[in-house]
Amino acid sequence: MIARREFLKNSLLGICWFAGNSYGLPGQSKKPGSRPKVIVVGFDGMDPVLAEKMMDAGQLPNLDKLRKAGGYSRLGTSNPPQSPVAWANFINGAGPGTHGIFDFIHRDPAKQCQPFYSAAETEAGDGYLEFDTHKIQLDFWPFNHTPTQTFLRRHGVPFWEYLDRAGIPSAFFDLPANYPPSSSSHGHHCCLSGMGTPDMLGTYGTYQHYSEDGPVRTKDEPGGKRSMLFFENETAPAKLVGPVNDFLIKPEPVTVDFEVHRDIAADASLIEIQDHRVLLKKGQWSDWLKIEFELSMPALMPNNNISGICRFYLQEVAPNFRLYVTPINIDPSKPAVTISEPDSFVTEISSSLGLFYTTGFQEDHKALSNRVFSDSEFAEQAEIVLQERIGLLNYAMDNYEDGLLFFYFSSTDLQSHMFYWDTDEKHPSREPSQTAKYFEHVKDIYRKADSIVGDVIKRYGSEATVMVMSDHGFGNFKRQFNVNTWLRDNGYIQPSNCDSIMSDKIDWSATKAYSLGLNGLYINLKGRERDGVVEKDERERLMEELITKLKQVTDVDGKKVIRDVYRTDKVYSGPYVKNAPDLLVGYYRGYRAAWTSILGDIDDDVLSDNKSLWAADHCIDPHEVPGVLFTNRHVLKDDPALIDIAPTILNEFGLETPGTMTGKNIFKD
Amino acid sequence: MEVIAKILILINSVTNVIGSIVFAPIGIMPGWLSNTIISAVAGVLMLLVFKHTSNQTAIGKVRDGIKANMLAIKLYKDSFSVTITSLAKVFKGAVLLLFYSSKPMLIMIVPVVLLLAQMGLWYQFKPISPGRDALVFITLKDQMSPDFSEVSLEPFSGYEVVTGPVRIYSKKQVFWKIRTVESGKHDLNFKVGQQQFHKELVSGDGFERINPKTPAMKWNDVLFYPADKPFSKDSAVQSIEIEYPRRDSLTCGSDSWIFFFFIISIIAALLFKPFLNVKI
Ligand SMILES: [Zn+2]
Repeated sequence: MIARREFLKNSLLGICWFAGNSYGLPGQSKKPGSRPKVIVVGFDGMDPVLAEKMMDAGQLPNLDKLRKAGGYSRLGTSNPPQSPVAWANFINGAGPGTHGIFDFIHRDPAKQCQPFYSAAETEAGDGYLEFDTHKIQLDFWPFNHTPTQTFLRRHGVPFWEYLDRAGIPSAFFDLPANYPPSSSSHGHHCCLSGMGTPDMLGTYGTYQHYSEDGPVRTKDEPGGKRSMLFFENETAPAKLVGPVNDFLIKPEPVTVDFEVHRDIAADASLIEIQDHRVLLKKGQWSDWLKIEFELSMPALMPNNNISGICRFYLQEVAPNFRLYVTPINIDPSKPAVTISEPDSFVTEISSSLGLFYTTGFQEDHKALSNRVFSDSEFAEQAEIVLQERIGLLNYAMDNYEDGLLFFYFSSTDLQSHMFYWDTDEKHPSREPSQTAKYFEHVKDIYRKADSIVGDVIKRYGSEATVMVMSDHGFGNFKRQFNVNTWLRDNGYIQPSNCDSIMSDKIDWSATKAYSLGLNGLYINLKGRERDGVVEKDERERLMEELITKLKQVTDVDGKKVIRDVYRTDKVYSGPYVKNAPDLLVGYYRGYRAAWTSILGDIDDDVLSDNKSLWAADHCIDPHEVPGVLFTNRHVLKDDPALIDIAPTILNEFGLETPGTMTGKNIFKD
Repeated sequence: MEVIAKILILINSVTNVIGSIVFAPIGIMPGWLSNTIISAVAGVLMLLVFKHTSNQTAIGKVRDGIKANMLAIKLYKDSFSVTITSLAKVFKGAVLLLFYSSKPMLIMIVPVVLLLAQMGLWYQFKPISPGRDALVFITLKDQMSPDFSEVSLEPFSGYEVVTGPVRIYSKKQVFWKIRTVESGKHDLNFKVGQQQFHKELVSGDGFERINPKTPAMKWNDVLFYPADKPFSKDSAVQSIEIEYPRRDSLTCGSDSWIFFFFIISIIAALLFKPFLNVKI
């Protein structure tokens, strides 16, 4: 349901966008093209260790040219170095205490460690009228029902707000940590939201996989669904699961029936879904297809059609027919929910570029982790993403006149998670030859990044300040540390046979600390946590004790596991510190929090091998994984960090650094 | 129903000749302009047909009656009984008008549908741009034998076969994905057993007369795909279809060109009504 004010505002902004016809928007004294130009390209997770090695070897000529001209530095990351935290630091020009994002996962102290995603929150609606099996919400008097709403949890003033107020246009493509997109107060800001944007199922990406050896009843797995196909006369019926129909009192997903036909001799298949006929040979991808999902409405009201997009990938025809369908993305030409500011920003892009991925996580790493994809299939799908994004960058540059242009690439992060491995040590799940091959693939991505930068510099290097940056670096992830197991084994979680902090077995009255998320450790503080027991004056001693003990943890080979443990009351400042974990665990490269520990499970072993294909990570000590900063200007500040980028941008446009920002201009010493 | 199909084939043979000559200029002018001209001319012609096939005197009388009663309602708005009787008469007049226009409507419906079918050949689809892929498929009369040799698409210089033949047994269909290499009208040659079948493939840009389907002997298909002669009931091939891209335009693109046609023709008819002295 659209509230009328929202609709009016969006329409006005849409008109602004149309009238502007490019990022030079109307209503300003300066002529478009006469303002300063700043272009920021973000390569998520580009690692300085690897980049420097490759530059030394002459493999990244464009980046090396910037380095040689004094425009390179490692870039201090956020603590913890997790992408949502890091990009929020970038957005606020200040640390997590100002934006309140501390991890991918937060906990609700009032519900004792109950976890939720930190980036956006969906608040269930309140009140409705019942019509048989359906419900309807009316947000006006006398009903005043509140519809279900998703809102951005990031707090503080994003730096583009200052540009917006000053009439300086800014355009962001795939900006992380900004879903739902924050609105522009003066209509000079456009943004397509990136990481954090859901698919049509409301998840961070759910593929659907169909095979003859799949489960008879559709089975959910992390990041996907699997179903069985049964061929009769070489034709099999199938169902595509779509968005949930919230107009039903008992909401359930809308499904679309489709048919799969195959010709074994031709090693090909025909897929018939709605108006589409898709002919694929083994190993081929379909184009993006628009799928209409019909949400049934109460009687007498017309049904609501919403559009999603997906692509089919035929993996095998026989003997085991296998078909992969991408997560159903929000249709950029007709978005069912707001994914850009203004709404018309994404439809304009789509009218020029057609259909493209809109979910926040585009590379389907879950399909690889669950072995739906092979290594090479994942690399191929990720390459599709990269090529689409390069097309989008070209669109962005073609339509850019002046002001700020920000563009984000995820390839350097999500492919590194799966393929980065920079030692001769044995990879947890890959043969040495394959490990080397795919690390070479990561280097290929860096080379592609280099040529993208070359392109940007060629087009705008002489007239714009260009900054190329990453939010953090990368390290191997060989061994995992279960903080909760360690806490239990050391008596901080009770009883001694407790297997999860989420289980009923846990004795909160005797538990002093627990861990949730990738780096956070919480004291079970009285008066804050629902079942808190640690008194305020005990907290100080307990934190110091935990820090000392954790820093002493060694692996079986004698290696230190934890580089440092940080007290957030010392490293953070700002109005939201009170919501932060008490301690942040900073691992050495090679280590990370255990998979099971993230959501509070307790294993037998404190330390174990990471067996996942996700064998590289950056959620460790921030000093282990700084990011990179390249620019076509001299970097003069000594130790530039993510929080310095926003003040630098503002200064470039002649604006003062706001008092809320703790970062400093990198072009001044 | 086969009789209707056969009559339609005869009519199509005439409309195809007229259509391909009269509409040829569509290929060389902007789509919005050609559709505006055709729609406006059609609107005026429909007006003339209406004039000569309807009872203009009767319609004039009913119109006068309605006017008089409207005036009565205005003048005697304080008198309840006059208002009610006049309102009833206005309503009766409206029904009568509908009745008097039914005969010309019935007379016009067939030519208008035939006209739209010819227009659809130009506006509904775009030719395939060189280098782009398109799906081609044939529907066979009989269940295919399991071996492939009997159905093939002959290679030709204007296009290449990317995928296929792919046989879908449950649908008695054979699919190919082809890629056009150069602009122009190409002949797709299918071999089914000992027989040859042809279908025109149009590659290029801009506006072209495109018939996406050579249909079976079904009257509705014969009506909507008029350009090719349908296959007879006992033909080994029952239909040949090419998936052309839909045209994206409000004035001359897929589906919306029809609405544009009706809007412009109605506007044209209303504009010319006083000059041609027609009562509607
Ligand atoms: Zn990452």
